[in-house]
Amino acid sequence: MRSSGALLPVTWDGCPFATLCRLNMAALLRSARALNLSASPLLQIKRTSNHRQTISRFYSRTVGGRGIGVCSRQIISGSFNPAMLVWEHAVVARDEPSLGVRNKQSHQFDWALAKLDSSVRRTGRVTKSLLQRIFHDICRTGYPSGNQALLLLRSCGSLLPELPLAERTEFAHHIWGKLLELGAAYDVSHYNALLKVYLQNEFKFSPTEFLAKMEAANVQPNRVTYQRLIAAYCQVGDIEGASKVLGFMKSKDLPITEAVFNSLVTGHSRAGDMESAVNILSVMRGTGIDPGPDTYLALLVAYAEKGDMDKIKETLNQVENTDISLMDRDLMQVVFTLTVAGHQQHVPEVLEHLRHDGGFVPDAMNLCLSLITQGHESTAFMLLKTFPSVQADSQNSNGPDVGNFFLRHCVNTNKSPEELVGFCKGLMDSNLHAAPMQFTLYCALEAKKMAPAIEVMKTMKEEGLPIRPHYFWPLLAQHKRDQNTAGTLEVLKAMQELSTEPDIDTYCNYVLRTFPSVDSARTALADAGIAVDTIAFVSAEVRAEAAEGNLARLFAFLSSPSLPAIDIGVFRGNLIAGFKRQTSTENMAYFLYHLFDGMSETEVQAKEEVLREYLQQLHKKGICIPVNIYRGIRNILDSHHVPELIKVPLLCNFLLFCSHLKCSKTIKCVCVFSQNLPRALELKAEHEDKMSPSCYALLINLCCRHDNPEEALNLKRELARMDSEATLDVNKYMSLLRVLSKHNRLEEAVDILKEMKEKDVVVKDTAVVLLFHTFSAVALRGDVAALRRLQDTTFALGLAKPTSNLCSPMVTMYLEKGDFAGALEAVMECETQYHQLPRIHDVLCGIVKKGDTELLQKAMDFVSQQRGEMTVLYDLFFAFLQTGRYREARKIIETPGLRAKPGRLQWYAEKCIGSNQMEALETMVDLTAKLFECDRDEMYHYLLCLCKDTNDWSKAEAVWTKMQEENVIPRERTLRLLADIFKTNNQEVPFEVPEVKQPSSVTAFSSVAYAVLYTSRSSAGLRGLVMALCKKRKVQEAYNVLKEAERLGKALVPACYDALIKALLSSGSMEDAMAVKDIAANHITGFQLSDMAHNLQIITQVKQERPQGCLKTMLQMDQVPSQLALTRLVQGLGNHGDIKGIQEVASLIKSLSPSLNMSSMLFVNNMALAHIKNGDLERALEDLESLYTQTADHSQQSIAFVFRKVVEAHNDEAFDKLRTMAERLCHQFASYKPATDLFLQCLDTGRVEEARQLLQRCAAVAEQKTALVSYMAKASQSPGQIAKIKNLLELIPDFAEKELVYAYMMKCHGKWAGQVGLAAKALYRRMQAEGLQMNELSLKRLAQLYKKAGEPVPFEEPPETFKFYADKLKASTLPSPEDD
Amino acid sequence: MSAPGKKVFELFVSKIPWTLGTKEVKEYFGQFGHVRKCLLPFDKGTGFHKGFCWIGYTTEEGLHNALHKDPHVVEGSKLQVQQNMMPFTWRRMDKEAEES
Repeated sequence: MRSSGALLPVTWDGCPFATLCRLNMAALLRSARALNLSASPLLQIKRTSNHRQTISRFYSRTVGGRGIGVCSRQIISGSFNPAMLVWEHAVVARDEPSLGVRNKQSHQFDWALAKLDSSVRRTGRVTKSLLQRIFHDICRTGYPSGNQALLLLRSCGSLLPELPLAERTEFAHHIWGKLLELGAAYDVSHYNALLKVYLQNEFKFSPTEFLAKMEAANVQPNRVTYQRLIAAYCQVGDIEGASKVLGFMKSKDLPITEAVFNSLVTGHSRAGDMESAVNILSVMRGTGIDPGPDTYLALLVAYAEKGDMDKIKETLNQVENTDISLMDRDLMQVVFTLTVAGHQQHVPEVLEHLRHDGGFVPDAMNLCLSLITQGHESTAFMLLKTFPSVQADSQNSNGPDVGNFFLRHCVNTNKSPEELVGFCKGLMDSNLHAAPMQFTLYCALEAKKMAPAIEVMKTMKEEGLPIRPHYFWPLLAQHKRDQNTAGTLEVLKAMQELSTEPDIDTYCNYVLRTFPSVDSARTALADAGIAVDTIAFVSAEVRAEAAEGNLARLFAFLSSPSLPAIDIGVFRGNLIAGFKRQTSTENMAYFLYHLFDGMSETEVQAKEEVLREYLQQLHKKGICIPVNIYRGIRNILDSHHVPELIKVPLLCNFLLFCSHLKCSKTIKCVCVFSQNLPRALELKAEHEDKMSPSCYALLINLCCRHDNPEEALNLKRELARMDSEATLDVNKYMSLLRVLSKHNRLEEAVDILKEMKEKDVVVKDTAVVLLFHTFSAVALRGDVAALRRLQDTTFALGLAKPTSNLCSPMVTMYLEKGDFAGALEAVMECETQYHQLPRIHDVLCGIVKKGDTELLQKAMDFVSQQRGEMTVLYDLFFAFLQTGRYREARKIIETPGLRAKPGRLQWYAEKCIGSNQMEALETMVDLTAKLFECDRDEMYHYLLCLCKDTNDWSKAEAVWTKMQEENVIPRERTLRLLADIFKTNNQEVPFEVPEVKQPSSVTAFSSVAYAVLYTSRSSAGLRGLVMALCKKRKVQEAYNVLKEAERLGKALVPACYDALIKALLSSGSMEDAMAVKDIAANHITGFQLSDMAHNLQIITQVKQERPQGCLKTMLQMDQVPSQLALTRLVQGLGNHGDIKGIQEVASLIKSLSPSLNMSSMLFVNNMALAHIKNGDLERALEDLESLYTQTADHSQQSIAFVFRKVVEAHNDEAFDKLRTMAERLCHQFASYKPATDLFLQCLDTGRVEEARQLLQRCAAVAEQKTALVSYMAKASQSPGQIAKIKNLLELIPDFAEKELVYAYMMKCHGKWAGQVGLAAKALYRRMQAEGLQMNELSLKRLAQLYKKAGEPVPFEEPPETFKFYADKLKASTLPSPEDD
Repeated sequence: MSAPGKKVFELFVSKIPWTLGTKEVKEYFGQFGHVRKCLLPFDKGTGFHKGFCWIGYTTEEGLHNALHKDPHVVEGSKLQVQQNMMPFTWRRMDKEAEES
């Protein structure tokens, strides 16, 4: 950090510094605004007068990019224009996310960071899809935090080599706008990150406008901002602009760093003044800054732009004479520039300078990708050919496959097929890739790119490589998904051209399913000139029919004389599948039930293990057993006495161990605590007989404390006489050991150690520390022999592990004497004996300080040999740092191939923090900036920890700026620490603090809080109030608050508007909701309803009889409504007879989201109703009837809805026709479902007579017992339906077991709150008369009725609860009337 | 739970390159014995197979012949071949294949 004063003598283009020095920010802006830098007016600031905030719109350079704007339908709604960004600033307060969201967010951030980080570390790049996925996730969680935003923004620059520059910037802008909308708070670090992205993407923008935006957002630019603005000016060769910013920095006393000079090199060169560019280097030296690698790189790039190869070589030579080393990555930058500037012919010469050191491959891959992206694939290929060819090893006989990434990216960027083939041949010729064609084809297929795929296949065919039918499946699969018949035919034609005949699987799995029916497929194929009478196609047809269970058609097929010979095996499986189509989990459950039912008790018990296994397997496969069947199974298993089978391992018996605390005899040893040894000994003499081992132990310890080894040993001997088994605890042994060794009673000390071993005393934790102190004390005395004896005995006995700490006293002994050679010897001895290098750092530091190179060499050789080079390098690095030899430290850390060792770095950082060594720590953080895999946030966190300890906020601020300069994304804890330092020093925190907040739950607001919030009239307060009121369903109040906010000109956040809209819609206030939407749209460009609000809007509109209106809005917006909203919509449309509308919805659903599991009957029924509504009864009947005559499986198709609607509408004509249809279906097609539905509908609407007539005509209805019982079960759910059950029973007396019916009836009575006691009693009597047993549940219900009526219960009331009997019943009979 | 008494002689083959189809795999393994069944599951969504398959021989001899050959190299790619230890999986995959 140099003072800017030194810069004054420098003159570039005679910039009038003096006049600038006292300029303030605004003045700079004014003067800068005069510059006409950008070609187009990129930014327009529009001040809206109706509210106070400034909204400016930012139009990115290229509009309407394709891939970038699309993340997911949920996130980016249809009308959101990705090119349009909102810069929303200043006073807008954001939602306070809840604790849960915060925690999740912080967790998610770590995940995202790790994911991106690992990608960057491994490959030096991020894929667009990964970034998009993380962006998507962050958006979905809502409330993006500051560092998440930073993480995303940072990744939009050169980390995306696979994306064109413009697209990257566009993505950055998209992220910027979207996160802002979601409430992210931007501080200076975000603006700086955006600037960096601009620079990396060579995005042309106006620095003045950028500063204006920051000013409008009330964000103060800092050193890094200015540095990057200078770089931006320099990028376009605008030295004047750069100088102005530079002057401003000087006026503010900001340090001018190397980065600024590097920019100026570029600036002068781009301005066409190479001389000045070169001159910058001497200017730098003049100010005391040595040109670094980046400076030379800037110079090299400048020459590369000019294509000046001589100068490049000259500069490279020059660099070689300094102690700076350029990395391969730097040279690749030169290669890139040469290529882009059109001087490809020089590339090979630069390539020769590459060292191919570690990290070459990922860097070179990124260069290739960038070059391909920018259309320089031939240069990229040149580079690719220099890649090391991996030798095909014997382990893996797969051939070499260098260049996969290259081929894939060429395919993705739509390089011409000719080029692709050319590269493939090139790779094969140079033996880099064994099967490039196949791989290219794979990529093309994966990306569903038909044209290149077909072209590559043509070449493969020419080369004699086989073309197989399944090569076309990925293409067909895509068309199948899109139901794109034209595309499918095109692929089939291509197959024909390549004379690859589709096989049966091709047709069956991919082709036929694209077409609505087998017949239509046949016709379409034939029309397209594709042979359909092949065995493959016919077999596929047969297979499809079999699978569908269309047995009649299958039979017709097979009996056709024109059928070629087909193996039964071709369709056998499908035929079986066709038969088994109805198989469901219910069947599986019944199977289980019968399995258990069919087994005897002993059998079940014998096979318990097998069964358990089986059940677990079933569970793993996600098979769910219906609850009533489960109960049945449970019942059986219970009766077989194997309850373990059904119990979840909940058998954790919480055994309460009753501790029978034997109160030990109170002994007067308490006096020991007085620490009075003579008194304690006296007491001991008095109560010799009452002495317990623990008393002895305490006394021995006391003796040790009083430094009395003699007495301690005496006591110990006494104790041994009293109880030879008695053992002291480890701390007492340690005390003994300490005092004995202190008094030089070595042999006795060794005996203690041996005794400890004998008695299995474990030395750990604090005892180890005591041991260390014992050793240290011996070391302090300088008694090498004693120390060695003690250490060796301890370790040999295995009492303690020879840790570095325990071994260190020996080394310390020499270090204290300043005998580094001796210390090193001791270390080496430890290493050979115990594999420990105690205090090697201190030893090395001592040697370095002393400057004993010979000894240093010896130490290095030894450590390197024992622990490897990496350890030595770190040891040396720390030693140099510690002794202030930073230049040497830099050399060490820049060793090629060195990677970050987090543990070692942490060790040194903590050492620095502990001993307050700011300079050493800072240097370490600086020097490790380019260290491979170094966690930068961690490093800066160490620095901040020290700042916190020293309470140095200005240093902390400098650290934060440094982080921005280095593009480091701080983790939350780092930001919190930083904020903490600022706060303790009463400084303003210049960013959003990600605090873990207590849930500021809106629901908990007291009325006082309301008042406070309301009177404060801050945006945040109003927002909170609106949210709280919405949650409390005080919709109108919330709306009023919003209106108040509007009056005050305060805008709220999108989430708040959305909540209010939802609340208003829920209460049916469509108009108000739309008014709020308009307000929101006024404040927030591109405001969109959330999915939920959108659904509510649809439902409300349908309720208000305006389905057409909402169909329109639905079509306009690109949102997929919920199933419920859709159902309501379709019903509404049906009500209005809007056939076209229903069709539109149906096709929309099909195209939008086939996964939306909508019942097809929804559309069929409502279509029919719409026809009826329109008077086209015939059409409705035709459609409905065909439904039952054309498909085999009717079980799921219920048209009860149509019946009900017709009955409700009293449309007798339609009713009659429908009835006739149902009867016809019943008689002629054996389709009983419609008649049964109609029968039950009549019953349900009280048309008993019609039901009776229907029954007479369609006797089969009486056989549909399942449907009838389930109707009864449903009816018994609600009170007052008893008449319906009675009617049913009267019409079909034997539709179910009497007991069952009566039980349901009793349930119905039970539900009825009024006077039905009589009826219930009558039912009871009737049952008794019929000799039927009433089950316990029903009895319980009846008893309850008696009690309610205040009458005595005339029978013994079952004692258990309802639930008990319900469960019992469920378990015993299947199915049964039960409570839910 | 496969039917008792009926022995199955199955291989589990993985690392199958995408260029090989059911026919090719069956042909290759046919050289060791009669292949009763060859199941190479395809992902119907992507159109690519999943890189592994099951081969069922009619005789134990076929299985042994196949297991004794090493390495299995088809069109330049080395396949990983082992005896199928999970007969249950076979049934499940079998069912899937039939249903699809």
